[in-house]
Amino acid sequence: MADDSQRNFRSVYYEKVGFRGVEEKKSLEILLKDDRLDIEKLCTFSQRFPLPSMYRILVWKVLLGIIPPHHESHALVMKCRKEQYWDIHHALRVIRFINDSTPQVDVFLRIHQLESGKLPRNLAFALVSELQVTSQMHVDRQEPEDEVFLVIAKAMEEMVEDPVECYWLVSCFVNQLNSKHKDSLQQLPKVLEQYLNIEDNRLLMHLKACAAMSKLPYDLWFKKCFAGCLPESSLQRVWDKVISGSCKILVFVALEILLTFKMKIIALNTAEKITQFLENIPQDNTDAIVSKAVDLWRTHCGTPAHSV
Amino acid sequence: MAQQGNVGELLSMLDSPILGVLEDITAAFKDNLVCDRGPMLVNNLVDYYLETNSQQALHILSTLQEPHDKHLLDKINDYMGKAATRLPTLSLLGHVIRRQPSWKHKLSQAPLLLSLLKCLKTDTDVVVLTTGVLVLITMLPMIPQSGKQYLHDFFGIFGRLSAWCLQNPGHVAEIYLVHLHASVYALFHRLYGMYPCNFVSFLRSHYSMKENLETFEEVVKPMMEHVRIHPELVTGSKDHELDPRRWKRLETHDVVIECAKISLDPAEASYEDGYYSVSRKLCTSLKHHQTDPSASSYIDIQSSYGTSTPYSTPRLTLSQMPGQLPQILSPQSSRLSTEPQQVTIWSPSAVCGMTTPPTSPGVVTSESSQSASQPYSKAFGTSAGGKGTPLGTPATSPPPPCTSDDFVHVSLPSAAATPPKKEDKPDPGRPLLYRQQNVINSDKSLDIPSSKSSVTLSDLAEFLGGLSFEDSAEKDREEDAISKEISEITTDAEHMVPRGGFDSPFYRTNESLSGSQKKTHSAVSSVQGHSQTSEPLTSLDKPGPENARETPKQTFTPIDKPCGGSGESPAGNREGTSGETSILTPSPCKVPAQRRVVFGSGQPPLYEHLFEVALPKTAYLFVGKKTEELLKKAKGTQEDDCMSSTSPVEVLDRLIQQGADAHTKELNKLSLPSKSADWTHFGGSPPSDEIHTLRNQLLLLHNQLLYERFKRQQHALRNRRLLRKVIKATALEEHNAAMKDQLKLQEKEIQALKLSLQKEQARYHQFQEEHDNIVAQLHSQIRQLQHDREEFYNQSQELQTKLEDCRNMIADLRLELKKANNKVCHTELLLSQVSQKLSNSESVQQQMEFLNRQLLVLGEVNELYLEQLQHKHTDTTKEVEMLHAAFRKELEKAKSCVQQQSQRLDASQKRIAELESQLAKKDHLFLEQKKYLEDVKIQARGQLQAVESRYKAQKRITQAFELEILDLFGRLEKSSLLKKLEDDKTEAAEAAEERVDCGNEDTVAGNSEETIGRNGETKPPSTRGSSSSKGGSSSELSTPEKPQNQRLSSRWETSVLLEPSSTVPLTVGSLPSSKSFLGMKARELFRNKSESQCDEEGVTINRLSDALKTELCKDPSMESKAPPSPDNLSLSPKLQESSVGQLHIMDYNETHHDHS
Repeated sequence: MADDSQRNFRSVYYEKVGFRGVEEKKSLEILLKDDRLDIEKLCTFSQRFPLPSMYRILVWKVLLGIIPPHHESHALVMKCRKEQYWDIHHALRVIRFINDSTPQVDVFLRIHQLESGKLPRNLAFALVSELQVTSQMHVDRQEPEDEVFLVIAKAMEEMVEDPVECYWLVSCFVNQLNSKHKDSLQQLPKVLEQYLNIEDNRLLMHLKACAAMSKLPYDLWFKKCFAGCLPESSLQRVWDKVISGSCKILVFVALEILLTFKMKIIALNTAEKITQFLENIPQDNTDAIVSKAVDLWRTHCGTPAHSV
Repeated sequence: MAQQGNVGELLSMLDSPILGVLEDITAAFKDNLVCDRGPMLVNNLVDYYLETNSQQALHILSTLQEPHDKHLLDKINDYMGKAATRLPTLSLLGHVIRRQPSWKHKLSQAPLLLSLLKCLKTDTDVVVLTTGVLVLITMLPMIPQSGKQYLHDFFGIFGRLSAWCLQNPGHVAEIYLVHLHASVYALFHRLYGMYPCNFVSFLRSHYSMKENLETFEEVVKPMMEHVRIHPELVTGSKDHELDPRRWKRLETHDVVIECAKISLDPAEASYEDGYYSVSRKLCTSLKHHQTDPSASSYIDIQSSYGTSTPYSTPRLTLSQMPGQLPQILSPQSSRLSTEPQQVTIWSPSAVCGMTTPPTSPGVVTSESSQSASQPYSKAFGTSAGGKGTPLGTPATSPPPPCTSDDFVHVSLPSAAATPPKKEDKPDPGRPLLYRQQNVINSDKSLDIPSSKSSVTLSDLAEFLGGLSFEDSAEKDREEDAISKEISEITTDAEHMVPRGGFDSPFYRTNESLSGSQKKTHSAVSSVQGHSQTSEPLTSLDKPGPENARETPKQTFTPIDKPCGGSGESPAGNREGTSGETSILTPSPCKVPAQRRVVFGSGQPPLYEHLFEVALPKTAYLFVGKKTEELLKKAKGTQEDDCMSSTSPVEVLDRLIQQGADAHTKELNKLSLPSKSADWTHFGGSPPSDEIHTLRNQLLLLHNQLLYERFKRQQHALRNRRLLRKVIKATALEEHNAAMKDQLKLQEKEIQALKLSLQKEQARYHQFQEEHDNIVAQLHSQIRQLQHDREEFYNQSQELQTKLEDCRNMIADLRLELKKANNKVCHTELLLSQVSQKLSNSESVQQQMEFLNRQLLVLGEVNELYLEQLQHKHTDTTKEVEMLHAAFRKELEKAKSCVQQQSQRLDASQKRIAELESQLAKKDHLFLEQKKYLEDVKIQARGQLQAVESRYKAQKRITQAFELEILDLFGRLEKSSLLKKLEDDKTEAAEAAEERVDCGNEDTVAGNSEETIGRNGETKPPSTRGSSSSKGGSSSELSTPEKPQNQRLSSRWETSVLLEPSSTVPLTVGSLPSSKSFLGMKARELFRNKSESQCDEEGVTINRLSDALKTELCKDPSMESKAPPSPDNLSLSPKLQESSVGQLHIMDYNETHHDHS
């Protein structure tokens, strides 16, 4: 800790002057050098700074528990994960859930379903005829959880090349959302309303007047964690925070989206239109939105603990 | 030819006395003329007319239409060539032309014109010449621009005839010459009026010759005195006046009037311009009078005439016309209410002064010649008593010697008379002329005499002012005369030509040259007649200002009086003065002389032509009024008077008059019905000649008359047009007045609006000020509030800083608290250490005390032995010595023993410290070991988790596979069932059916179990499925964990399938491989340290056991062993709390301890 602060004594000033993340990469490297990775420190770091993209996947894997904190066991664990993945993959192939033409995302979904024991049983019946299979699969997709998984998997697929890693990241990310953040995710709409009241009362009034407050795309925002809403480059930065344990950032991203497109939203009168607009926001300015959202999150929730 | 005969009959019937036949014939002729285009009928008509002089033929000829004009003109031209028919032809031509046919413009091209000119140039018959000249004069305005090529012919004719007039080459009767002269005079006017430049140049060239000089002197020059300078002489040129454009706009009557305009001859002239100006003024003043409420005073005054006030109303007139000619102000004329005639004063001199300035000098000369007026003034002057009379009389009665040359002297007495003027003492019995003058004016008039001598040098305006004064003076004099006359008239009122009251004009001079306005209060001349004509003289002061106010607009106050009447009085005067004296002799030679004399007087014709001018005006204005009749009468009288004028026309007129008079006289005397008898008696000359002469004369007169009629027609034509213009003008003026009224109303409205606007503005300003005040107030409030806010803000900041201070203090205090707590903890620790040490030292002290007590006891024993020794000293000195030595030895022994004890104590204490440090080391080692272990465990757990998840996945896979297999089985069986069913159908074997039923039941039961298991239990359905499929192995499912562990190695594969997930950590913990790994590690770790420790421990314990065999030695060793035990105890619960795996690790520890 002592040497860390000594190395970082300038970082405070960098931040004051406006340079962010100057020393971050170094400090992250130092953090990653520890034999037993300190997960808490990594969490704090990830919350405080944007992760360098070259370490992002590693950090995510560590934070999500895909690889243990010990470097020694990384290879072994990864081997296990890989074997597990391919085993299941093979099994799914054998029972003809998937084939070569199945999209990667669907493969992930099937693997996840199999792993969680939720593999649709109807499928066995469906083997009778191919037509039924496709229709059933189609029906399956409509399930909200699966949809969430698919969307997130699609986004993750863009970020990660290796399918095994990708699968594990998606799976663990979804599991984390479903287990760790389940309760807090349900509170987020209320929190959003509260912060919107602070930030822009008028917009809130307008939304309330249009009865759009209840119809905002909360699923897209909070359940799917903006997957499919923001481009991957921006999404990564949001997910950094989510993975590191703070799902409140989702509220601020949503808030910032509302504030950024305030004029357009005020111009729209019906809840349907607003929802439709928010589900398809323009993709050009999302980096700025995310940056602002992070700032907003910092100001409202305070800087995460300084003791990195 | 038959037609010709027919025409002859018709012509003969033309003069039928029967009216019906006459009309029929005329109609027939007209029809013929319309149908027939040949020259025959016209020729016949002309012939007939020349033969019979038929009026009907003349009428038809003069109304000939277009296609026949050529024939007519040709025919006339034919006859013109013959001397015998020349005269009737000319008269016919004259008739035709006077009708102004539509083809009159063709005249200029017709050969007739040439022959007419030739005739005029060559003929010697006076009658023919006169008639021809008149025809020419009539024709000229009709063909103004086309006749220009004959211009020199015209001039030549004029030259010839004017010379003829003088020289009389034909020696015709003088009476003809009069006619000829008159026609030449008319030609002169016409030529001068139409072509002034050319004509003047002709005159110049023609009369520059010596032979013509006399003619010029005698004939032309007098004519020239009757014309003004033509404006064209100034502005135009020879070419310009021949320009067709000039004539295009003018109609025939326009040309005639143009010519009349430049004439000064009252018989010829027309003063339309001057007339217009005057009439306009009259109109306005009239209207003003009617509309102006101040005019009521005038009406009142008029109505008050009936009262007994003996004075006539004086009207003060006042005019201000700066920088202009003196203006006439004729006040309200006195009116004789009893008299039927309303007489108004027209002040002709004013108009003269304006229109013809040179008249004033004329007045001067005329004054001298007027003998008739002189006596009046003289008489008046004498009656007034000269200068002694203080009233207006001296002003109006100039002294007799004061004649033409010095009129200004007249104003001198008037100036002298001004001071008493204001006293206003009227003479009831006498006609009073009242004149009021301003002092300034009198001063001015005083100045004038000095400059009068050199009039040419002095300013024109001044001169004019003087002139006006002269005029006024003259007027006064006239009035004096008139008043006198009136007084005479009143005595024999009925005798005289109706000549009512008169008016006294007053002049108001205003001269702008001096810069100061001179106000002349002209006094009103109040004319007083006798009791019946006496008029009430209202006080001068009362109407004065009113009039003074209203008169500036009025240049001519007497509105309701006919102007003609005004002209009457001077005319009457003239009649009295010059009319009697100038009786015309018919001799033409005397005419010029006479004329010259009359011209010398100058004044009368001026008045007369003014009258002429005024006449039409009054005719227009007061048509239908009573006064019109009077005017007519006046005109009649005036015409009589006009005989005295000496223009050729007048001469001619007078000649006719005389002739007519003589004729009637003779007729009356002789009472002869026949003319010839009359003439024979009258003249005595041969009757034939006389008759011829008379007939010619008659003819000439007729021609003259026709010419005059033509002129009258032209005038009438023009008058109609002018009347329309006047009506238009009056309508426009009324419209103007209405507009002015409207304007006034609108101005009032504007005024009201402006007032309201001002009010509104004031209100607005007020509002604005209030608003400003409120704004200022609000601003101050805002400032105050802001100030308060800042104060509050400061306060809050202070409070916040205080709060922060407090927080800091609290934080400091907390820190201090922590420190204190630390200190307390530390001191407690120290205290426990010290207490330990204390107990140690206490035990050592107890030993020491024990040793001291032993020493003390030994000492006492020694003393006892010494006493025994002393007692037995004597006895046993040797013994004593021996004893001494023994005791000494014992003492030494004891001392060394003590020393040894203390040394041992030190050693043991050291040992304790050493052991303690060793213990701490060991603890640390333990901790490290534990940490490492944990680390390793975590690592292992991570790996395990991965493996476990893999395992789980494998399980899922197997489940899936099983599911798949089951499904496939189900389907297989189904298909086989179906097959069997099919077989049944074919074979229908009962046993087979039973078997199939059993199989069916089994599968059904299996399936139902499967569903139950899935719903109710956590166990995977596959186990049941597998168990059911395997059959008897179900008993093994209930096997407890321990046996499973025992059989672990043998049943590993099955346990993978069967074991529940919760047992996994236990199995892992009990895995031999892991045990060996952990044990190896633990052994490695502990062997080095524990062995060395044990060795040392063994050494120290041996030493201790060696050193302390006594009880005392056991206690500290026990105590020194005590501290590690609580550590172990405290460690164990921690470990117990941790996971099962850790419990196992503790077990290892225990076993290790046990082993060690």
